[in-house]
Amino acid sequence: MKISTKGRYALEAVVDLSYHAKDELESLNSIANRLKKSKNYLEQLFVLLRQNNIVVSIRGSQGGYRLAREASKITAGDVVRAVEGSLAPVACLENPDVKQCCSDYEKCVTRVVWKKMMDEISIVLDDVTIQDLSDCFDKMNKENNLEYYI
Amino acid sequence: MKLSTKGRYGLRALVDLTVHSSKGHQPLAQIAERQNISEIYLEQVFATLRKNGVVKSIKGAQGGYLLNVEPANITVGKVLRILEGDLSIVDEKVKSDSEEKSVAQCVYKNVWEKIDKNINELVDSITLEELVEDYKKNHGMLPHMYHI
Repeated sequence: MKISTKGRYALEAVVDLSYHAKDELESLNSIANRLKKSKNYLEQLFVLLRQNNIVVSIRGSQGGYRLAREASKITAGDVVRAVEGSLAPVACLENPDVKQCCSDYEKCVTRVVWKKMMDEISIVLDDVTIQDLSDCFDKMNKENNLEYYI
Repeated sequence: MKLSTKGRYGLRALVDLTVHSSKGHQPLAQIAERQNISEIYLEQVFATLRKNGVVKSIKGAQGGYLLNVEPANITVGKVLRILEGDLSIVDEKVKSDSEEKSVAQCVYKNVWEKIDKNINELVDSITLEELVEDYKKNHGMLPHMYHI
């Protein structure tokens, strides 16, 4: 059971964007270079992020991306769901029509286990904001700089 | 992000086996029929479970499988790790890559590692016995029915 590179890369890219685009726009090129990811792949993810109102893009030669709202108001869950879709570990938790996928849906005891797993994933993702992650990176950088001066 | 059918079907089949094994060992064909899972597929799953000591097989024309452990002593986590491998939400590689100071490390520490911890704690806290009790409750199999 793995999260795909979509979810992982999107989250890292949004944190990077949040950290670097304080007041100005950030180009996808810079993000891709810093994170050592393919720009084309990030582009696909940013289409989804834009559609889901996580980032906004400004066109033009000075164009680029910035967050659509404050970093403290975007959770890791917002970002991961925007690119991954559902976080359900099994298909029958995905949509209400699933009862057809299993004749035993109502009485299924393992479904309850999968549902609890999904809840654990959501609890963590919805509790961490992009601001938290950006702050973590900020702190890490400052600690790094301190080490150099010793 | 999905569990494989191995983990899904395997756990369901084990609950079925445990519920019905009060009547003795269970032929795989019957478990497969009740759970609407391919018998050939279940054979592979049960071979893995047998190798790991969770079930034992009774050979012969009237053969089948029996649980090899107390349902109270085996957790969902143990079963899933046998069938799915480790339950981490990210590859081992992500863990080692994130050791350098990077955004990836912050994301790993604050998100993926926490999810892994919570999921492992969750599945290790649920025993097969609890699932079987829920199954009996959901299917109207009250405890007194055993003694009839």
